[in-house]
Amino acid sequence: MSKPKAGRSGFLKPVQNRIRTFFSKPQNVILLVLGIVLTISTIYPMLTIVRDTIRLHPGSIDASANAAASQKELLGTTVTGYNWTNLFTDTITTRVGRRRVTQSVASVYLWTPLLNSVLVSVFACLGAILYGGIFAYLVTRTDLKWKRYLSSVFIFPYIMPQWTLAMLWKSLFNSNAASGGSDGLFASVLGLYLPKWWCEGLFPVSVVLALHYAPFAYILIGGIFRNMDASLEEAAMILNTPGWKTFLRVTLPLVKPAILSTVLLVFSSAMGSYPVPHYLKLNTLSTQYVEMNASRAGQASILAVIMMLFGFLILIINQRTTSGRANYTTVTGKSGQRSLVKLGAAKYVLTALFTVLTMMTGILPVVMFATETFLPNPGDYSFLTHGLSGNTTLKWWVTREPAAESGMYGQKGILFNPQILNAFKGTFFLAVACALLAGTIGLLIGYCVSKNRRSKWAAYVNQIAFLPYLMPSLAVGAAFFVFGSSAGIYNTFLLLILAGTVKYIPFASRSALNSMMQLSGEIEEAAIIQDIPWWKRMLCIVIPIQKTSIISGYLLPFMTCLRELTLFMLLCGQGKIITTMLSYYDEMGLYAFSSGINLILVVLILIINTLVNLLTGASIDSGISGSGENRKKKNSNCSG
Amino acid sequence: MARIELSHVTKRWGGFYAVDDLSLVIEDNAFVTLLGPSGCGKTTTLRMIAGLETPTTGRITIDGVPVFDSEAGINVPANKRRVGFLFQNYALWPNMTVRKNIAFGLGNLREAGLSVSEEGEIRRDPLAKGQARKLTKEEIERVVQRVSEIVKIQPFLDRYPGELSGGQQQRVAIARTLAPGPRVLFMDEPLSNLDAKLRLEMRSELQRLHHSTGSTFVYVTHDQMEAMTLATRICLISNGVLQQYDEPLTIYGKPENTFVADFVGNPAINFINGHGHQGEDGSFTLSVLDHYEAVFVSSRKISAQEWYQEQESREAAVQKPDRPVAKENEDTLFQYPVRTVTGREESRDCLSPDDWVIGVRPEFLSICEDGPLEGEVFSAMPTGMETTVRIRVGNYLLTGVSFGKVTYQIGQKIRMEITGDGICLFSRRNGCLVTTGTLHMRHPDENDAG
Repeated sequence: MSKPKAGRSGFLKPVQNRIRTFFSKPQNVILLVLGIVLTISTIYPMLTIVRDTIRLHPGSIDASANAAASQKELLGTTVTGYNWTNLFTDTITTRVGRRRVTQSVASVYLWTPLLNSVLVSVFACLGAILYGGIFAYLVTRTDLKWKRYLSSVFIFPYIMPQWTLAMLWKSLFNSNAASGGSDGLFASVLGLYLPKWWCEGLFPVSVVLALHYAPFAYILIGGIFRNMDASLEEAAMILNTPGWKTFLRVTLPLVKPAILSTVLLVFSSAMGSYPVPHYLKLNTLSTQYVEMNASRAGQASILAVIMMLFGFLILIINQRTTSGRANYTTVTGKSGQRSLVKLGAAKYVLTALFTVLTMMTGILPVVMFATETFLPNPGDYSFLTHGLSGNTTLKWWVTREPAAESGMYGQKGILFNPQILNAFKGTFFLAVACALLAGTIGLLIGYCVSKNRRSKWAAYVNQIAFLPYLMPSLAVGAAFFVFGSSAGIYNTFLLLILAGTVKYIPFASRSALNSMMQLSGEIEEAAIIQDIPWWKRMLCIVIPIQKTSIISGYLLPFMTCLRELTLFMLLCGQGKIITTMLSYYDEMGLYAFSSGINLILVVLILIINTLVNLLTGASIDSGISGSGENRKKKNSNCSG
Repeated sequence: MARIELSHVTKRWGGFYAVDDLSLVIEDNAFVTLLGPSGCGKTTTLRMIAGLETPTTGRITIDGVPVFDSEAGINVPANKRRVGFLFQNYALWPNMTVRKNIAFGLGNLREAGLSVSEEGEIRRDPLAKGQARKLTKEEIERVVQRVSEIVKIQPFLDRYPGELSGGQQQRVAIARTLAPGPRVLFMDEPLSNLDAKLRLEMRSELQRLHHSTGSTFVYVTHDQMEAMTLATRICLISNGVLQQYDEPLTIYGKPENTFVADFVGNPAINFINGHGHQGEDGSFTLSVLDHYEAVFVSSRKISAQEWYQEQESREAAVQKPDRPVAKENEDTLFQYPVRTVTGREESRDCLSPDDWVIGVRPEFLSICEDGPLEGEVFSAMPTGMETTVRIRVGNYLLTGVSFGKVTYQIGQKIRMEITGDGICLFSRRNGCLVTTGTLHMRHPDENDAG
């Protein structure tokens, strides 16, 4: 009688034992939990937006077209193909000048913005890689002057909000004759009226985005240039290969992976950018989405889905190429003494050129913003010709009684404005919450994935955490907008924190994974053997050793969150956080306010970055590249 | 202070058997080395005993207490096994001083009946009941002082690991491992990161340490010299399978098969293929090295026929372990090297029971004026204390060692003989040792004359 029982327990015990062993390792438990949570938090909002394309929206075109049906059945629960059929098959009549033109709906609402988006993304990639790559080469491989100064100012545009350069472009080049609005500095002071294509549209948007993402290319490509084993190039030199051939056949292929990862990221980021095309008036998928969000909500969701498909496409390309990237790991050898390329007289020309360029992109915006807050009227640069007194004002900053001043729209000055203070508080709260959550989750993912390198589940968790990285911000924002509206948490910090965390986990997980991979497993095993509990191992061993890159993993989400507009603007009202507030003042025409807020934001971010860098050695660029200089030092300690 | 027993331990990843049905008893107070070529499963074995790796099947006990049993569902995690582990690259925590490195694990101990003697030795009262206690700061400091004295690192206690040399780091790692008073000390190639001179020094210190602590040491190495000099017993593993588990000199003198004979000993053993059979007087008359005839006399009475029968019946008796998955890394008969001038080896097909291999250690090949073997010097490598000579006999190369200051010229004609009673006779069919004994060589011409 007892035989079958014994047999059964004999069979069950090894299974039980396995399960117990599996769960006795904290990394397995964390991976399991995070895998499930991230799958839901990342995939579910994306699914809701797909579902949204076949839903009826009250007050939207699909509802009025289906008016007959919607009266009988409940709104919102009805499934309709209208959004798709209307978008792809119907025509629409629009006014172009005096003529009425009939076009297909798709060409107006989809193909034109899509084409613009793709063009902007392609040009932004090319520009960023050329500008950033050339700069990286000059800084790392030649005897350029003032490298320290140049390389720190060069990354300013990436630290600053995206629209900074767009607003700078407008305040410099805008021309009332060509594009309306107030005249920029060139027009009002120099009398130089630039053509429309220079003032707005594809060209300035591409240039601004390229400048914004060039630091990214510089950090990634420069990292490889810096670590590249010089003997690879010297070997080619010994074989009497001409210099240009060495560059094309040896150097460039080695930089290829960095170029590729820049392309992948810049492409989707440029596609998802809203403020730049918005300020510089280009019709892209993002601006089109915002425009259609009210009247054609279902079709707007289709645009968001299309943007996401681009994200998936990029993810697939990324996966294809990362598998081949292993071939390049030998590149990061110990580089010995490397002789810098002598530029000769060009050294001074290039130094001057880049000093001017970085001044324009890094310092000038701050100066411009500051100036604008003292102008009596937007675009009124009369103080340059007529002297400071009487032509500048402090009213935008210090007014306490708004009724007494003209042009304040009933707002108190920036320093005393409770709305602005509130929005700053909100942004700070949001940034701290997102940084803590994203940083911690990213750290755990990096730790657990590095512990379970062979596990397929770990690879999946890593991928799913990485996915939002390659999703255009606006698409992620749209997904969370639809999700938040249906869940009833629209305009709450909960929704903002959720979206921010999901979007920024990749920043943290990437740098954490990179640093954890460099930490030999024995370092922790030495503590396991001595019966030191997991939390103590993390707090006293793992985290202190890799603290620099871990702090970078918290810093990057924090900084990005401070200046994020695209992701959050769909999710909350205007006064909740500072970037939406800024955008609101800009719409109102209170340019001094938006410039003032921008100034505070930019200066704040620069100060925090510098402080953290000085105190801990962590910095945004080491967060992006995942290979800080100081980590190497630490690691040589670990391996003895 | 512990006896470790492994029975039928297997670890596989898919079809790759890293450790294959290993059974082993490590006696209390032993110094056992796990030896084998890289990738043979020795580190995996060590990590399984320590609990850092989970075996697929089998049973491991420490001090009679099962710490792993796949059938009973027992798996004591590494941190509860009370063992010490010394890592190959020391794994010192770079963010802590030497003192903190040693004290960190101590501050974490929490047991009933825990105390520290005046000398700084940790005492555990196994019968103590009641409240678990932690060590006080003073007690921890006493222990730190004691272990740092053992490995002579007191001057460096307040330095960081990055500020120490490789040898000092090694000592710190040892001190950290010794501090909590582990029952067993596991070491994973602890000396491989040190330079040759320091390695020799640390080797002797490890031996002293074993002597003074009286703990059980299990030591992984791929260096046969290290294994020979340190161990009380060597466990030689190849392809996840235990080859021989014996005292060093037994392994050297009576290797159970050609793999063991070849792996242990530097310069390596000479293998000479021979064909012939056992005569009525029990001696083997074999034709070797193309032209020579050799007579092998076993040091104990043996019958080749009986030996083969015994082997067959033993093979039949041994239960093949159940394999849920076929072994990808199949066990093949070891291809012992027969060194020739051209590098070409004889074919090994169609082996009959009359095919044998003779194993001659280099020190048994002695160069003398009237030796029966004739050859010329192929290469000579003097080290001062002894000279390793490679001698060409026909197409074959034999290695010999001669002590003293003799200079050999390449191409010089010399004669030699095979001396000693430690000559090994292996069966070519299964590579196993048949017996050891003496070997007398005869040139066919002399044979004719006699």
